[in-house]
Amino acid sequence: MTAEVEETLKRIQSHKGVIGTMVVNAEGIPIRTTLDNSTTVQYAGLLHHLTMKAKSTVRDIDPQNDLTFLRIRSKKHEIMVAPDKEYLLIVIQNPCE
Amino acid sequence: MTPGKHSGALARAANAGAWRYRDFRGGEKGWWTTPQLVATMPVSPAGSHKQQNFRLNIATQPKKSISFFATMKATSVKGYTGANQSRMAVSKTVLIPPELKTAEKTNPSIKTMQVFDINGTDVTPRPLYHPDPLTGTAKPNKLLTSQEGSLGPEFISSHSLYQNTINPSMLGQFTRSVLGSSTVSKSSVSTSESIAEDLEEPSYKRERLTSFTDLQVIRAAPEKIVTKEDLEKNIEIILTETETLRFFDLPTVMVSVESEEAEKVTQRNKNYEVLCRNRLGNDLYVERMMQTFNGAPKNKDVQCDKIIMEDKGIMSTAWDLYDSYNAVEPLSLSVKPSVVESSSKTNVLPKDQDQRLPGSTTEKNSETSSLMDIENVILAKIHEDEEDHSDAILKSDKFHQDLFFMERVLMENIFQPKLAAYRQLPVLKEPEPEESEDFLESAKREEVEEESKKEEEEEIHAEESTIPANLERLWSFSCDLTKGLNVSSLAWNKTNPDLLAVGYGHFGFKEQKRGLACCWSIKNPMWPERIYQSPYGVTAVDFSIGAPNLLAVGYHNGTIAIYNVRSNSNVPVLDSSESPQKHLGPVWQLQWIEQDRGTTGDDKREILVSISADGRISKWVIRKGLDCYDLMRLKRTTATSNRKGGEKEKKDEALISRQAPGMCFSFHPKDTNIYLAGTEEGHIHKCSCSYNEQYLNTYRGHKGPVYKVTWNPFCHDVFLSCSADWGVIIWQQENVKPFLSFYPTTSVVYDVAWSPKSSYIFAAANENRVEIWDLHISTLDPLIVNTANPGIKFTTILFAKQTDCLLVGDSDGQVSVYELRNMPTALESGRGDIIDTLLGPKSNQPA
Repeated sequence: MTAEVEETLKRIQSHKGVIGTMVVNAEGIPIRTTLDNSTTVQYAGLLHHLTMKAKSTVRDIDPQNDLTFLRIRSKKHEIMVAPDKEYLLIVIQNPCE
Repeated sequence: MTPGKHSGALARAANAGAWRYRDFRGGEKGWWTTPQLVATMPVSPAGSHKQQNFRLNIATQPKKSISFFATMKATSVKGYTGANQSRMAVSKTVLIPPELKTAEKTNPSIKTMQVFDINGTDVTPRPLYHPDPLTGTAKPNKLLTSQEGSLGPEFISSHSLYQNTINPSMLGQFTRSVLGSSTVSKSSVSTSESIAEDLEEPSYKRERLTSFTDLQVIRAAPEKIVTKEDLEKNIEIILTETETLRFFDLPTVMVSVESEEAEKVTQRNKNYEVLCRNRLGNDLYVERMMQTFNGAPKNKDVQCDKIIMEDKGIMSTAWDLYDSYNAVEPLSLSVKPSVVESSSKTNVLPKDQDQRLPGSTTEKNSETSSLMDIENVILAKIHEDEEDHSDAILKSDKFHQDLFFMERVLMENIFQPKLAAYRQLPVLKEPEPEESEDFLESAKREEVEEESKKEEEEEIHAEESTIPANLERLWSFSCDLTKGLNVSSLAWNKTNPDLLAVGYGHFGFKEQKRGLACCWSIKNPMWPERIYQSPYGVTAVDFSIGAPNLLAVGYHNGTIAIYNVRSNSNVPVLDSSESPQKHLGPVWQLQWIEQDRGTTGDDKREILVSISADGRISKWVIRKGLDCYDLMRLKRTTATSNRKGGEKEKKDEALISRQAPGMCFSFHPKDTNIYLAGTEEGHIHKCSCSYNEQYLNTYRGHKGPVYKVTWNPFCHDVFLSCSADWGVIIWQQENVKPFLSFYPTTSVVYDVAWSPKSSYIFAAANENRVEIWDLHISTLDPLIVNTANPGIKFTTILFAKQTDCLLVGDSDGQVSVYELRNMPTALESGRGDIIDTLLGPKSNQPA
């Protein structure tokens, strides 16, 4: 199982345009990351808040709903966050258009 | 003493009964209710602490002009009377102060006001207040006069208990005025005494309300809205006595002067008088003041710890409330939905996890293991707990799912234009992003929205008319695993249009390598969702219709395996390798057929039909295992049309095997009992499921093995076949001769397929070209020709159902997705008329 996870993570990391992949736990401590620690921690902290807010928004509208994925597209790249109670999976990609 | 209470006293004084008053000096009517009776007992409010024993002397009643009506039943009255008596006795001898003289003078002049009750009793209320004579010189005079007047001969100052500022001196005035005796300057005692003297009679003593110059307390009459009628009405005012409030009750004792005790009483009165007189300077009576102990206040400070204040804010949100309500549900319920969720997310063909190859190459293993080592080292630095926790995170299913989705999202980003083109959706452009269908959300759901209006890029728009139809390569399904393998079969999933099964295996016997069957998703072109490996080459794949998660894979060794795509395991659900009736040759084609089984009573039973090189067309039924029934044994047939010599033919039939290897088959779209089977001989037999020995018909036209035969989806009389003799032939069902044949190149045509959109269009894949033919336009030349890269052969071809895309598998393990562009619009009407259209002007002779 773990090997599969590793395999998938590796594949994701090696995809075209992917700048970084991060898995951080609920406290913001990185579990897996391809970026440096400071960047990871920064991303983790900021995205955690944003994810909470997004989740709160979604659930406020309908409490039976829940946030499953969050994508932030900026000029330079796209940040994709898969949130969970225990972790955050963050991938930063530079989509080549 | 509030004025309000005066009424009580007065009432008492009045001794019940109705009052009737004639006149009041002072004028106000309401005044009588709050009379100020000066002559109250000094006992009560004035703070007089004198004991007074007043005896009323009844006998001495008649004064000159005064008749006293003792109004008060109060003891004070009596007390007073006693004193009065004594006083009176004394007073007679006392010099009359000058004021009193005036009082006398004024006495007769003053009108008296009298209030009589029904019985004639005088119930004149007596004033409660007598202003202090010492306060002003003039006043006393007035007072006296007023008192004089008020008192009159008939009235006595009453012992009203209600005094405002009792000044016994006031009392004195009263009496003085009445009596014309005593002095103003006398002490309060004397005045009280004198007042008491006034009250001689135990009976009602009425007093005129005298002084009210200083204090007039008027009880406010209750507010009433006075109407005109009210004003003119005769109002009967009924005065009633209120309850008596006793503040002090010192009963008056009256002793007759002629009684035995009279002397004692008088003596005592005298003594008392003396006492009062002497009080001021007397040593016996000392005015003392006591100081109460006031507790010395002490300030005490206590210091406490700093009270730490914490602000706690909570935002109540709708979901917070929802969570709290649902928090009481048992854990099992919470577990179930998550399971349900995960299964619902993976809908028809769930691919919730990427599959780990059990038999992955060693290189991969070493790669991952080295990675693992590095990561282990990193992990070792982390705290134990966190490490455990992080591992738990990584192992969690949710993480897998998230990874899965993330990968798809990435794919979508990478392949967005291609996927959009595939799905005929607008292409997202930067920096002005058009609205793009969000693939991720649709990726989550297995149903994908399609069929929006096709928008091409601007260049194409401009040049639409000029660019001919072409194939544009969008992307290709390929990965490391599939590199070098030959794509042998392609099949769409029946329910999920995004799922593609690809079988990898070589055709030739000598080229056999390991085989691979992969399930690819459009949403992830870079890694297959399922990978099923086998040592034998895969030669046929097909998805089931009724159970879309079942994938049948046919191998080169004749084995048929059925996989459940829903699960992650690599083990097939069913395997025919143990079956005694398994195929002995490569299974060249597999197809799931839903067949009416009218005879046996089951209807729409799904069966798996396979054709293999051992000349059998078998029907596989899943009961307890794979059960095989032969539908047909393909016998070698001779060229019956060339019956030149029966004998010779028979001799030629002494062949190794009487069975002709079947290469392909195709069931009639409408009638699932009829099917076509192509053999290695080049014959196409029309067979029926009812007969497993006889052919219904044989179509001879090909010279080489027929690799593919397929019915036209719209026109059910026409079918298409391709063979190794470089030719593609269109047949008509009734005609055993070819209808149209094409020999575009000198290479083997591996695969041919009708377009699902038009009955005129079909695609053919030969070794180095993919050709799109449009019979409507031309029967001589293909519409589009796409040449392969050198060294790569196109081996399989498959149309995408909903979109204008074509999948082409090649010998390098790549399945390329091409988009058909600028196709001439298909004529709806032409679907059924292909034969008629073609029959007339263009009918080729069979070659």
